[in-house]
Amino acid sequence: MSKKILVVDDDSDVRSFVVTVLEENQYIPLVAQDGVEGLEMIEKEQPDLIILDVLMPRGSGIRLYRKMKTDDNLKKIPIIMFTGIALRSFLKSQKVLDEFKGGEVPKPDIYLEKPVEPEELVAAIKKKLG
Amino acid sequence: MSANKILIVDDEEIIVRLLSMSLRSDGYETVTAHSGEQGLEVFKSEAPDIVVTDIKMPGMDGLELLKKIKEIDPEKEVIIVTGHGDIDSTITALQRGASDFINKPVRDEALAIALERAKTKIAIREKLKEYTENLEFKVAEATEEIRRKSNFQRLLIKSSHDAIVAFDHDWKVVVYNPEAANMFGEAAKDVRNKMTIDDLYTPKIARIFKNQAKEEKRQNTLPWRDNIINTKDGRQIPVRYTSNVLHKKGKFVGTVNFFEDLTQIKRLEKELVQSERLAAVGQTISGLAHYVKNILIGLKGGSYVVDVGIQKNNTDKLKTGWESIKKNIKRVGDLTQDLLTYSKQREPEFEECLPNDIANEVIELVKDVAGSNGVLVSKEFDTDIGEVMADPQTIHRSLLNLINNAIDACIDDEDISKKHAIKIKTYMDKNNHFCFEVKDNGCGMDEDTQKQLFDPMFSSKGGKGTGLGLLVTGKLVEEHNGVIEVKTSPGGGSTFTIKLPYEKVNTVDIN
Repeated sequence: MSKKILVVDDDSDVRSFVVTVLEENQYIPLVAQDGVEGLEMIEKEQPDLIILDVLMPRGSGIRLYRKMKTDDNLKKIPIIMFTGIALRSFLKSQKVLDEFKGGEVPKPDIYLEKPVEPEELVAAIKKKLG
Repeated sequence: MSANKILIVDDEEIIVRLLSMSLRSDGYETVTAHSGEQGLEVFKSEAPDIVVTDIKMPGMDGLELLKKIKEIDPEKEVIIVTGHGDIDSTITALQRGASDFINKPVRDEALAIALERAKTKIAIREKLKEYTENLEFKVAEATEEIRRKSNFQRLLIKSSHDAIVAFDHDWKVVVYNPEAANMFGEAAKDVRNKMTIDDLYTPKIARIFKNQAKEEKRQNTLPWRDNIINTKDGRQIPVRYTSNVLHKKGKFVGTVNFFEDLTQIKRLEKELVQSERLAAVGQTISGLAHYVKNILIGLKGGSYVVDVGIQKNNTDKLKTGWESIKKNIKRVGDLTQDLLTYSKQREPEFEECLPNDIANEVIELVKDVAGSNGVLVSKEFDTDIGEVMADPQTIHRSLLNLINNAIDACIDDEDISKKHAIKIKTYMDKNNHFCFEVKDNGCGMDEDTQKQLFDPMFSSKGGKGTGLGLLVTGKLVEEHNGVIEVKTSPGGGSTFTIKLPYEKVNTVDIN
């Protein structure tokens, strides 16, 4: 059975690009425009993988990532970070939150900096889903 | 020290014994001698405080002994015992420094008084000596202190980084430190005590200090001022200077001028401005790079979707991809226009136009985007604003920018329970401005963001803003002699108001 992959990104250009890539590779695409909508979709649809942007209005990827990694039901779902901001900045934001909230959230396994070629994205997905 | 030891000298032994007994009973210590020669020896060996000696003695007489003793110690108290009526000897004795004399036969009271007087004199002399020694010490101390202070002051003046020049009441230079020599380019030896204020300074500077001196005590110290001084060798030096007028008992005695060379400071200031500019350029470039990268992401993504659409003959994909590409081409166009507007000086092109109509046009443009993001747009126009002379482009672009920002502020608001709305108002204010007010109830701004609002390339929209919007708007409005006002609070929304000078169009009466 085809795997469900959720794209959370506020940029419609990015969404249509990723959706097209997913369709071309026989995955079932799901979309959300921001962190809040993203979490709703995750709970409702239980996707097999999430492609997550960082800077979004209403519940940024920084927060959604943290929520996923600290929730026992959700932490198993693999995440591909897919963003325009540098990994260094993202890790720094998580480190600040680690210190602020206590505990430590694992680093993302795969961090892709936009723009990426479709092949790169597909390779990353395959690596996670086998 | 109490004068206690008394030497008694008399050739008559009985008298010596009697006096000695009498004085001992009064508490004195006594030593005795029976001749002048013996007296001198005892004086040397016993060092008595007071000597009482008979005048008439065989061999060395009292006068001779007195002379010898005074040679040894001119301050020693010597009391002479004279025979009745021996005036000549008495006078000689007094001339030789005898402190007192008593007549024979020696009466106890007379001797006691003479001794008391001698003792008092010794005591006074000792006190005096003490004082004198003290005084000498104090004078030495004070002299040293003055020397130290004056040395210190000289050093201070010499090593000061300020140029210090002082004039006496004839305006002759009396102080001219090395820094002054540096600044004015004249050697100290040619200036000090030789030049006057007019020789050293240019007329303009000289006049300032002379006028200050005329103003008497009312203004003894000039406040620090900035000026450029022209030196005689043709250099121009930026300086800060001050001056003190010196008065002594109300009389003008001179003035002291202090000059601080600002060349270095000015240079550092320039460097600072330069480095800030470089930092701003760096920020500009990184902000711009981010924005351009986002455009590139859109273009690449769009072209991939178009490729897929072509391969699969899928019209939907073609449309979606093409939309992405068109949108990002427009973003490139807008960015270019913003950059050009920002970098070029542009004169507003005034023409007859209707501000309310322009506002309507802009609202039409943004309505769809606002609606699809759940933002309600409403308007309240003052219909009394008719035709005005203004640059419609300025109004259009500024208003479009403010409304787009307002929509973004609503989209970015974390509070999703709010019913987001934007209201655009036009009105006339009391100062003859026609105004556009754009009010949103979006996320608002904190103080830090507010401070940087009009900074180049500052954006609170991540990579989604160029950081040029408000900058360009600000510039357009300024070129139009208008102002932008901002009211905002975090979570409470923002209100931006553009105020432009109202210039009514004169309707030409055809008749």
